[in-house]
Order: sequence, then C-alpha cells, then structure tokens
Amino acid sequence: MTLLSIRDLQVHYATSGGIVRAVDGVDLDVPAGSIVGLVGESGCGKSTLGRALMGVLPGSGRIAGGSIMFEGQNLATLSERELRTLRWRRLSFVPQTAMNALDPVQRIGAQMREVLCERGKLSRTQARSKAEALMRLVGLEPKRLMDYPHQFSGGMRQRASIALALALDPALVIADEPVTALDVIVQRQVLDVLRDLQQRLNLAMILVTHDMAVVAYACDRAAVMYAGQIVESGPVQAVLEAPYHPYTMGLTHAFPDLRAKEVALVPIEGAPPSLLHPPQGCRFAERCPFVQKRCRDESPPLVQVADDHLTACWRSDIAATLREQAVRPETWAA
Amino acid sequence: MNRSVPVIEGEALGKTFRSHGRTVHAVQGVSLAVRAGEALGIVGESGCGKTTTARLLLRLEEPSGGAVRFLGDDITARHGHALLHFRARAQLVFQNPFDALNPRFSIRRALSEPLRNFNIPRVEHAERIAAVMRRVRLLPAEAWLERRPHELSGGQLQRVVLARALLPQPKLIVADEPVSMLDVSVRAGILNVLRAARDELGLAAIYISHDLALIRYVCERTLVMYLGRVVEEGPTAEMIAAPLHPYTRALVAAVPVPRVEQDRDALPIRGSLSETPDGAAGCPFRLRCPQAFERCAADAPALREVASGRRVACHLH
Repeated sequence: MTLLSIRDLQVHYATSGGIVRAVDGVDLDVPAGSIVGLVGESGCGKSTLGRALMGVLPGSGRIAGGSIMFEGQNLATLSERELRTLRWRRLSFVPQTAMNALDPVQRIGAQMREVLCERGKLSRTQARSKAEALMRLVGLEPKRLMDYPHQFSGGMRQRASIALALALDPALVIADEPVTALDVIVQRQVLDVLRDLQQRLNLAMILVTHDMAVVAYACDRAAVMYAGQIVESGPVQAVLEAPYHPYTMGLTHAFPDLRAKEVALVPIEGAPPSLLHPPQGCRFAERCPFVQKRCRDESPPLVQVADDHLTACWRSDIAATLREQAVRPETWAA
Repeated sequence: MNRSVPVIEGEALGKTFRSHGRTVHAVQGVSLAVRAGEALGIVGESGCGKTTTARLLLRLEEPSGGAVRFLGDDITARHGHALLHFRARAQLVFQNPFDALNPRFSIRRALSEPLRNFNIPRVEHAERIAAVMRRVRLLPAEAWLERRPHELSGGQLQRVVLARALLPQPKLIVADEPVSMLDVSVRAGILNVLRAARDELGLAAIYISHDLALIRYVCERTLVMYLGRVVEEGPTAEMIAAPLHPYTRALVAAVPVPRVEQDRDALPIRGSLSETPDGAAGCPFRLRCPQAFERCAADAPALREVASGRRVACHLH
C-alpha cells in the first residue's frame, strides 16, 4: 500500500538572480512501513524535497506545482493550519543536528511533555509514562528525561530527537541526514534504532542521505536524485546492484567498500548544473560518459525499466552494456 | 634522501588540557614515524585525540611531553621564526574547503600568498602555480586563476586547497578529514590527486579520519586511537582483515558497505564514549569492551608488538 505519493512536484526559490527550481518534477512513492533512502549530492534538492513534504520550506521557498498525496490528502494544497494538525501526529521530522530539534535550555522530559500534552492532548500522567516508553524505544534510560541536551552525547541527542519525532505515533518520519554528523559506531547504533522502530511500529521513513552505504544498510528502497529530479528509484538491491542510470553507476564506483577487494575509486568529474538555468536536455548529460545528441536536446522521462524499477535515461535499453563499461576507470576519465 | 630517517617523528607525545578543574589527557604517549613516500592513517572517534596528535606534530600545539623531530632534527623547543623552514615543509590540508580560502581573493592571489610568505622569488611564482594547477588537475589553469572561491564547487575548492599546500614544496602533508565535507562523487578525485602527489613527489603523508574505508584507500599503515592513546598499529589491509584490539574490531564492524548483503549483527561494543573510566589505572576501553576481565581494571596494557609490524595494547594478546 502506498502511504505517500508525490507527482510532478515543483519547489521554487525566488532569488535576486531569478527562480531556482530546486525540485523540478519529482515523482516518488513511499509504501507503508518501508524505509526509502533518498540519495544525491549537495544541492540536488533532497533536503528541499523533505522540507516541502513537512510544509516547512525556508524563506522564499514555495511549492509551485504538483501533488503530495498522503493518507487521502494533498499536502501541497493544504493551508498552514491544516498542515499543523498533521505535523507530529501523522508525519514528523528528524533533522541532521539533533541540537536543531532540541531546546538547549529545557530538560528532555519537558520537551517531550510539551509535545505530548499540547499537541497530543495527553494528561501529565499519561505523558510521563509515554515519554518513558519513548526513551526505552530508542535505547535511552527513562531517568535521562531529567537531563538537558548538553548532558547527552551526539548519539544520545540523535536518539532523543528520534523519540521526540515519534511522540505522537506518526505514520511517516522524514529524517534529513540523521547520522551524517555521527561517528561510525554511533552512526551504526542510530541506524539500528531506526530499523528496529520500522519493524516494531510499521513506520515508514524517508531517509535523506548522501551515503550509498547507509542506504544499502538501512533502506528497503532507494531513490536517486540529481539536479532537482529523481533519476532512478526502486528496491534497494536493484538500484545498487543493477543500476540503469549512469549517475547511479558512477556513484557506486565512487564509494569505497571496506569489505571488498580494493579497487581504484573513480570520481564523477565536474559538478551538477545550476538550477537557476537548468539545461533543456538530461541534466546529467554534461558529466555522463555515455552522452549522445538526444540527451542534450530532450529531457528523458522517468519510466519503468524493470519490475518496480524506474529510470530517466535515454539509454536504459542498453543499461547492461553501460554497466560493464562503467566499471572501467577510463570510462569516467575527464 | 636517507630512507632510514623519518620525515616526521613523534616520540611519546602527550598533551593535557585543563577543563572544569579536571586534567584531560587528550594525547598520551603517542609515538609514530613517517618516512618519505609513506602514508600513515590515524583513525578513531571524535575526541580520541587524532587531531590533537596532528597539531602536536605540526607544532601548532605545545606538547605537555615528548618530542617532535623533522628529518631527524629535534624541533620540540623551537618557536616563531625558527620554525619558518619547518612551516613551509610541513603543510596542513583542512577539512572544510568552504572556509579555508579568503572569499575576497582570486584563486591566483590565494596561491601567491604562501609563495610570498615563504620568500619564494617572484620570478618563480607563475611557473610554480602553473605546475601545481596541473598536479591538482584544474586545467586550463588560466580559466581558474581569476575566479573567486564562490564560483567553485566543493571539490574544485579542495583542489585549490591542495594546490596551496603543495606550492611550498613540502616534505610532509597532514590531511585532517580531507574529503568529509565533499560530495561522494568528487571524493575519489581528491584522494587520487593526494595519492599521486605522494608517489610522484615522495611526500610523507598523514591522514586523519574516522572513515576506515578512506584510510585503507590511501594509507599503508594505520594507528587506531582511543581516548588519547594508540590501541593498535599495523599495516592497514591486515588490520582491517583481522583486527586485534576489541575496539578496532567494533570500528571495522560498524562501517556500512554499499551492498545489500552485509552483516547487521549487533556491534561487539557496549555503552558510549561518555563512559570513560575514572583515573589512569586500567585499560581506557574496559567499560565498553565485551571481553574485559579483572586485569583490565588493574593495569593499563602497553602497546606491544605481537606479530611482524603489528602492535596492540590489549591484555588479550
């Protein structure tokens, strides 16, 4: 069952230089109870997409078109008041730095109580037992509710901010780089908390990250974003191991694999295009080793290339051949 | 150059800070040596002392104990002008390329500055800059030199930072998390430039990172630090294939890989870094160690060689 269905979503930022199309025609489905990894490099629009879903776009950002269907409602057209009734209760947010979610001058317990009582309309007694249960759920001792955020380590703060996001039993959590700032051992422990919650609570999640290994470790599905668009999406195994888009192929070779034989890492030379004046054809054309004339002229649509697997590439019919060539470093030499 | 003389050597380095009336041993008894053409990795969690160790070696921090030698020369007691020669030959690559360059300076000016600072004759500047731009593969150089930092991507900026570090023709490069701020797609490019520079120029290199996969890609030898001490040292590939210290084992197990089939067992570690044993006695890792026994609380294990080239500080070995 699809919990969230995004179609042709457009998010624009008005700047002095013109309109930046940060999200430009995104299609994405999130099935109930599954973790979708949204990967891409900085500036590709992945955080903007996450914020658009929450209705918390910064400053000049606004949804300029498309739909976000979530539990029968179109989030793209709801008023701020209507959105406020859904936030925390039906969908919630875990930011990259837990300090952004936690108030430094309030005890963790007081912050939980505020959400549980004000927003969730629980009594103080109910709120206390719920807060304790939430702490246990994320692997923290309930007595630490009396602590201030600064008394927590980075990993504990991230656990507390996850507990806070789960306070009112949302169906969907959007986590923006939740483990990026953490050390590798703590990162693993937080990812394990997320996976455990998904299984126990049948929670759906969008995990925004730049790290393919985090997606491989924790996600059921992967969606690869490039220059404001989804270029590939599908079950995580299919996307990582039999990619159809050259950008995904490039990403998998740019990343070191600690438990495999050591191979040369191959960078994808160049940088993504400006979203102020995006090129008319495929946005990856400038960096793609397999580019053809058509790629520069026409933008490829996101189409089904295998069971439950979508790609936006004119050359996806010969993806198997491209995959073989993509393994070779000289293919990517600038 | 005599291969037996290390470019940089730290001997029993120590650094203590005073914090809230307590003494914190940020670095304790760390010894290391890196020769020309070698790359040494230092890994560990934030707060383990890896950056402080590098700052001690670069004489950016005053050691509380121990000695720093550069090409066999003891520089521990030198200060200010007496270190100028060393400063040119020991260069640091910063983690964040976005604030390592002055936003008002063109790339040309950013690169000319160190040449002036180290009194390189003006006539040599253009040629040196052109050569270093080739090395970091920002070509054609003229297309980049008049730009300002905001016109460059993170990967391009880090190439400029590398170029600037290579300009004074250093013998030692210390890179502190050189790619952690960069996009995955361009990281490999920076690492490949660093590797080539080390091989072709015979540099000694020290990489500091929490990322073992990165360390394995660029370093033959690695030190693992925990709470200011070296707990394991050895050839990187061997250490990752068969870690000896229980902490190294947890560190290796925690690294996710970009494949769906992978180990998702619980990590062989307990608690968190905040669980630091009080006092100096005993092993610093014992409260988190799944294999700790009585002796671990009683005395601290010394770093000992247990196999060829492999050293570990653990009573299990």
